[in-house]
Amino acid sequence: MVDRMIASDRCVDVSACFDPARGVLQRHIFTDPEIYQQELERIFARGWNFMCHESQVPDSGDFFMNWIGEDEVIIVRGRDQQLHVLINSCPHRGNTVCRAELGNTRSFFCSYHGWNFDLDGRLIGMPGEEAFYKDGVDKAAWGLTRAAKVESYRGFVFATLDADAPALDEYLGWVGRLGLDFMLSKGEIRFLDGVLKNRVRCNWKIAVDNLYDWYHVKVSHGASMKLGLFSEESMSPLEQMVILGEYGHGIGGPGISESDFEASVDRLSRGDDTGPWYDARLSERMTDESLKQLGPVGKRSMGHPNIFPNLWITNTQQVCLRIPRGPFETELWWFTYEVLEASVAHRKAVRDRTVKVFGPAGLLEQDDGENWSHSTRGARGVVSKTLPLNFQMGLGRDEVLVDPSGQTRIETVVNEHGQRWTYQAWQDWMMADSWAALKANHTQPPEGQI
Amino acid sequence: MTALSEMSMQARMLLQYEVESFLFFEADLLDSRRHDDWLRVLTADIHYWMPVRRTTTAREVHREFTEPGAMAFFDDDFAALEMRVRRLSLGRAWAEDPPSRTRRLLSNIRLLAYDGAEVTVGLNFQLYRTRLNSEEDQWIGRREDVLRREDDGFRLSKRHIFLEQTVILSQNMSSLF
Repeated sequence: MVDRMIASDRCVDVSACFDPARGVLQRHIFTDPEIYQQELERIFARGWNFMCHESQVPDSGDFFMNWIGEDEVIIVRGRDQQLHVLINSCPHRGNTVCRAELGNTRSFFCSYHGWNFDLDGRLIGMPGEEAFYKDGVDKAAWGLTRAAKVESYRGFVFATLDADAPALDEYLGWVGRLGLDFMLSKGEIRFLDGVLKNRVRCNWKIAVDNLYDWYHVKVSHGASMKLGLFSEESMSPLEQMVILGEYGHGIGGPGISESDFEASVDRLSRGDDTGPWYDARLSERMTDESLKQLGPVGKRSMGHPNIFPNLWITNTQQVCLRIPRGPFETELWWFTYEVLEASVAHRKAVRDRTVKVFGPAGLLEQDDGENWSHSTRGARGVVSKTLPLNFQMGLGRDEVLVDPSGQTRIETVVNEHGQRWTYQAWQDWMMADSWAALKANHTQPPEGQI
Repeated sequence: MTALSEMSMQARMLLQYEVESFLFFEADLLDSRRHDDWLRVLTADIHYWMPVRRTTTAREVHREFTEPGAMAFFDDDFAALEMRVRRLSLGRAWAEDPPSRTRRLLSNIRLLAYDGAEVTVGLNFQLYRTRLNSEEDQWIGRREDVLRREDDGFRLSKRHIFLEQTVILSQNMSSLF
């Protein structure tokens, strides 16, 4: 367990970096090294971070490596079938005890002096225990440090380094859970072998910002649209729905009206496949169980969820993690899943399309990197870093509607509500010195005019 | 059917020369941005594949590359490669606008198998790319190519690419290998 966490006295005051009333953001949040350090402490070490899907580590001894900020962690299935998340650093000299990205092991053996750790992180032996240490090491106290909490939501494994973090369910709230539920409306899933990883020279927040951005598609991905990889109406739909959740989670992108949803149901029930692009997506949701799970609003959203801070759930059977590598660099990790009950042909078609479209060589994805890195670069110059960025699209022109079920949403056109919500939450997280402070002072999901 | 081991040294040298001539020519098409011409030296049934590579322990090094059917960086048929080329001429293909400057160096070219119709070739490559003023990327790896003999020369019918990177250290891979 981590007993002394992230309680840093040092604090950069970022409370004026984002002005939600004016929709204006200060650029230096993308480049300032002290702000970056504070993000590692107050956002990544404190929040619940996506680790892997349970299907990646099915058997005892299976492990997968991931990161919580710049702390490398081992996610490993223990002898008791429990999942453990261990900080990959030997308590003797700090060396890593695992150098592979994935695999199966009986223990974690430090290559420096040979301290050996069980799958649950317990120190189980070291060379010279009797001869040199005279049996004087308290092995129970010198194991690998475990994440403060590890929990799964429907197979998605998350961990936090902060013992004061709320339970995962509470952290996700209905919006985070809805985002994850989107992936399960077709039934049980399994993650495919092979996480696509690459480095983009951008600040991690620029990548997160982009997932809500349905404004850039026609321009950034103009060539891919002309190829016919996606229909124009699916890439830049006029009708948009934004769902904003506590602690910075959100879902933004295409959404359809109740009447259009009913029309889809009607078409699908008649086996009519001439309807608009979203019929295919909605057809996956037509079980009673799925409709109940997603709710009357969620079932009409086809947007991109972000689990704050950095897990993007795509519309293409993938999730993409954005891992910070210093203020100027981000690692993108693409995980791909398949639906177990789908036919072999369907699974192959989805996977083939995914390979073609996303990842660093993807026909769509390859055009993003340079825009993001140059946006980051645009925050470095003496003058340019002082210039405000405009986040005013849709500001003050929309309304949060509340469904009788309690689900809230904004129904509008292309907008920047998701981005504004992300920077607002970022500011709240950065200004809070503890979970208690964050719980007390974070901005509640908006109501009324927005 | 002619097994390489049954061929005379002279015949093998001739084949090696033919193969190298084709590979150098084909690489030059890409370096020269003659992408449409490049498509013409591919067979319609080409398989162009780059699996994902991972760091594993020595004991589990058999898991280093993802298997066919698992995730990959490229797993293209001719239609997909045609799309990659076509997008360059559609405007707004920003990864290649301004265009990258690339240079392909091929070496250690070895004939692995030959049946009279198809020759399997193993080689090492270095693909060096610069972009804009100071962007620099390079990819080094091994390729396994299959060249098929057609009336007017070889066509490429398989290219499997094994990169010496796990995390891809470039912002994208908009170049063809």
